[in-house]
Amino acid sequence: MLGPIEIEVIRNALNAAAAEMDITIWRTSRSTIVRELLDYSTAVFDAEGRNLAQSARIPGHLNSMTHALRTLLADHVPPEDWHEGDVVIFNDPYCGGQHLPDILAFRPVFHDGARIAFVGTLCHHIDVGGLVAGSYAAKATEIFQEGLRIPPVKIIEGGRRNEGIWAMIRQNVRKPDLLLGDLSSQLASLEVGAAALSRLATRFGAAAVVEAGARILDMSEAGMRAAIGRMPDGTYEFEDFLDDDGIALGQRIRLHVKLTITGETALVDLSGCAAQVAGPTNATLASTNAAVMFALMCCADSSLHMSAGCYRPITVVAPEGLVVNARHPAPVAHRIAVTHRLLNAMNGALHQAVPELIPAAYYGNSYVTTFQTVQDSGAREVLVEIEIGGSGAHPAKDGVNAYASGMHNNANIPIEMIEAQLPLTVLRYGLREGSGGEGRFRGGLGLVREWRIDSTACFFTANMDRFDHAPYGLAGGGEAAKGALVLRRDGVESPILPKTDNLPLRQGDVVRLETSGGGGFGPAAARAPEASSRDARMGYL
Amino acid sequence: MSTARPVRIAVDIGGTFTDLQILDARHGRVVAWKTPTTPADPSEGLLTGVREAASRFGFALAEVGLLLHGTTIATNAVLERKLAQGVLLTTAGFEDVLEITRHVRRDIYGLAPDPFPCLIERDRRFGVPERLRADGSVETPLGDLAPLLDRLREVSPEAVAIGLLHAYANPAHERALREAVAAALPGVPISLSSEISPEIREYERLSTTVLNALLMPVVQRYLDKLESRLGEGGFAPRIFLVQSNGGMCSLRRAAEQPARLLLSGPSGGALAAERISQRLARPNLVAVDMGGTSFDVSVVQDHRIGLVTQGEVGGLPVRLPMVEMRTIGAGGGSIAAVDAAGRLTAGPRSAGARPGPVCYGRGGVEPTVTDANAVLGRFDPDFFLGGAMALDLGAARAAMEARIGGPLSLGTEEAAEGVLRVTNAQLAAAVRLSLFEKGLDPRAFSLLSFGGAGGLHATEVADELGITEVIFPREPGTLSAYGILFSDLAQDIARSRLYAADESQGAALAEAVDSLRAEATARLEADDVPAAQRAVEIAADLRYRGQAFELLVPWPEAPALAPLVARFHAAHRARFSYAAEGERVEIVTLRATAIGRLDKPAEVVPESPDAATKPGTRRIWQAGAATDWPVWRREALRVGDVLHGPAIIEEAFATHVIARHWQASLDPEGAIVARRMA
Repeated sequence: MLGPIEIEVIRNALNAAAAEMDITIWRTSRSTIVRELLDYSTAVFDAEGRNLAQSARIPGHLNSMTHALRTLLADHVPPEDWHEGDVVIFNDPYCGGQHLPDILAFRPVFHDGARIAFVGTLCHHIDVGGLVAGSYAAKATEIFQEGLRIPPVKIIEGGRRNEGIWAMIRQNVRKPDLLLGDLSSQLASLEVGAAALSRLATRFGAAAVVEAGARILDMSEAGMRAAIGRMPDGTYEFEDFLDDDGIALGQRIRLHVKLTITGETALVDLSGCAAQVAGPTNATLASTNAAVMFALMCCADSSLHMSAGCYRPITVVAPEGLVVNARHPAPVAHRIAVTHRLLNAMNGALHQAVPELIPAAYYGNSYVTTFQTVQDSGAREVLVEIEIGGSGAHPAKDGVNAYASGMHNNANIPIEMIEAQLPLTVLRYGLREGSGGEGRFRGGLGLVREWRIDSTACFFTANMDRFDHAPYGLAGGGEAAKGALVLRRDGVESPILPKTDNLPLRQGDVVRLETSGGGGFGPAAARAPEASSRDARMGYL
Repeated sequence: MSTARPVRIAVDIGGTFTDLQILDARHGRVVAWKTPTTPADPSEGLLTGVREAASRFGFALAEVGLLLHGTTIATNAVLERKLAQGVLLTTAGFEDVLEITRHVRRDIYGLAPDPFPCLIERDRRFGVPERLRADGSVETPLGDLAPLLDRLREVSPEAVAIGLLHAYANPAHERALREAVAAALPGVPISLSSEISPEIREYERLSTTVLNALLMPVVQRYLDKLESRLGEGGFAPRIFLVQSNGGMCSLRRAAEQPARLLLSGPSGGALAAERISQRLARPNLVAVDMGGTSFDVSVVQDHRIGLVTQGEVGGLPVRLPMVEMRTIGAGGGSIAAVDAAGRLTAGPRSAGARPGPVCYGRGGVEPTVTDANAVLGRFDPDFFLGGAMALDLGAARAAMEARIGGPLSLGTEEAAEGVLRVTNAQLAAAVRLSLFEKGLDPRAFSLLSFGGAGGLHATEVADELGITEVIFPREPGTLSAYGILFSDLAQDIARSRLYAADESQGAALAEAVDSLRAEATARLEADDVPAAQRAVEIAADLRYRGQAFELLVPWPEAPALAPLVARFHAAHRARFSYAAEGERVEIVTLRATAIGRLDKPAEVVPESPDAATKPGTRRIWQAGAATDWPVWRREALRVGDVLHGPAIIEEAFATHVIARHWQASLDPEGAIVARRMA
């Protein structure tokens, strides 16, 4: 049996492997969505597909990859079909994925003929075809409209590229060079990860690596159990709402959590969530699990090793046909909205269990905008941006202005880079005054951004929420401002629907986005006078 | 250097010690000295050190012709927020960019985040009516500035940062604004983004410009103090300061562009590594500097350490060329602990200099990496820091037993060994990542170990990496000063503009390169560098279209495009394992480095002692048993002596472990070279 020292040394090495994979993607990917938005993740798994180590990037990705790989092994590519030099890719949400732009790639690692591990990567690709550029079709009602659906296939088999698959992808997406370039960097990352694992097995022996993996999972489980054990036993319920699915406008979508803590285990019952919807605001289990696990993992000690062991004391109940476990062929492009709101609901329930830990609601939404500019020459360029808002006030301090929170973790794209590459001009980018919820502790502010169209034509697509249902405050704190999306044409302003496909714009049009702040915590009357006067001086109100 | 002033001194001022290396051209010997740093006014400790060295090594203050000065004064001012009260002027509508940052959070699972650091708050950031486009053309001319200037007079700032959108492409608005501000606020220092960091990406450029502005008064005060000390005893050397890019600059330039000093800490070590790489004929070295709180890794390839175009200080990006380095929080003071889940961790928390490791007896109670080394018997408790500090081994043992051994059910020595193994694994991972991100194989490198704690870990880390040679240079505790001693003047000039790297842009590129060369030459003239000692190097940042990260590629053939593009493809393949030769290549930034070569006096290596000495021995614990290891004093080693590991080599400010299966000997250059035996 390995001692604690060997386990820690191997644990470090597994983390380093995930970090090497991460560097590979960051350095080699082609598209801005991967490189500047950092919308990708890498991880190392044991031979049964359980996540052992991961690079810290996107919460929504990380705790979904175990589900994806385990589903793959159970239902699609059984363990005996994986051979040395194979790489399986897929993006199908109904095979364990999240939504079509996220392509997952997995590769087994063999040592002396035995499979000892898997390595995996997940990248958000700039476009996988479908109704609109960027593949975030707000008006899709079937997954078939959302883009190219890749079932689990061996894109590399025994070390040889399956050229037919590459050709199939090339023919079905809007920016094939970027997509295939990013896919190549995913494959390079897998190669690097596999080499790191082989090195480890050579040095410590395959049995030691496998045993360390098992012990790491146990250690994570113990850490997670300790965190849940600190929560008082009981049942905690909370609900929050998405505005609508973009099809049945104004029909809110309920996300309801019934969290039961019993000793060191947590039961998360999502049966009270709304039925699946016609539009793309649905999630499959990979996404739903990621949000639930993330909410609970945030409550653990900071030294918790994040691995699949953390999931063991947590049970999720999510009947099929609900918005949190959609049935084929429901569209799911905007599944991130479901996970954001589910996390908001989870936090509302957790606030009742551990009120000293949980902040008020963050903006709870990925403000995805896509501009496809068309010049007179016919030249087309695509810009996909994901904007953020403010974080929720914490029980002991203010929320943070413009802070990437919750299920996503994106970088913005430099304005100067956008303007150097596309016929767009950004007219304004700043904090949105008064958008944070009031309270003893104030919610962080959201943002305001304006784009002017400089090309002859442009098609605008948006997929956003929190325009009707504001981020909540806690313990008497106020709610944050709702979002707004406005078109200014010839000096006249008119609202743009937050879920919009291919809105035709013309030269001189200005689009303004205002994002939500975070909710406040505690009654506003209890706010320290010096904090209020500082807010006034800074113009935050 | 005139014969009247034959002495050259390099000074590296750190947090605890001021390190000096002195080269006297009359005999070519290089000697080292150390004196405590005087934080309130570091120039005081500097002069003390120079005076002490003069009396100890027999030179007169009037004989010092050149003082090369490495300083952390700018870095410390930022970390401690002892900065000027400044304002930021930026394009109206974008006043919050400095606070919005680039968004990505580091602590993914944290529920109580702190804001990103922001040096100028919202009520001191002012919009300017103007707008430029990406090609430098004017969208909105500079408007009425009167209300802004009135507001500035009211605020009465100590420094002004000016950063306008796309000013890298056209500095006209920033310059006009400077004139107006200078008239309204006479004597207040002003920094322009188009002069400090004229590169695309507004947040990073603003951050750098703001740092520069807020540092100007701080650095100016220090330079005034330093200059006021000149003249004493005839001490009147030419003075140059070490910059982040590994080159020196004049005092005037340091006062104008203090941000260039911010990341200069690693420069000395990098320069030393390059020089040792030359003198020992080892083109490929991975240099590791391990001190009390951090472990710095840099890579020497073909005798050169690369530059990167951006670094950060205290979470704030600095978009200026700096020596490429990876730092992790692992040093002698790193604290070992067992967490609730039974995990043994080492670092990143550090006991620092105060209270320091438990064995220092200054109140530290948590065991550190240094304590682990002490528990295993690797230090002579009576010769620590050359005998300057007594070690409390009993306290170190007790802490190791109570906090590590007990919770993990391990013996005290086993626990200490475990702490070292976990630490060494982290060090090795940092080295591997540093090489890995360049596509390099550790086995093709020698490890150069320095810093106070480096020698204790070097051979064991090398074993983890498959590295078979470790070099322990002379004076490892003042090695940065040694590197500075042989440096050159270097100024970086950058110009951002997106160009397609094809013949359609040939004329525009040729013109841009010419203008860069002219500016570089003008800078060298301004610094009185004689024509024979000038060099201008051109480089460019390139990428494939769609990539958001560029590679810095040397361009000696500028403006001939084909060799540049070929070198880019090759560099991309070397680093990223593929090149996309059919794709469009873009140039994002053009760079010139203006180099003023300082003469390099010959260095004479001290002779080794005549008589052989026998090593002593000490009981040292390893792998379950205490055995007697030979203990050598470094100054007693002679060329030709061969040491078989396990063994210890001690010197005043460092202890080196030669692990089992390693064999060490003294190189004629004075370095100890250890090799892994099969």
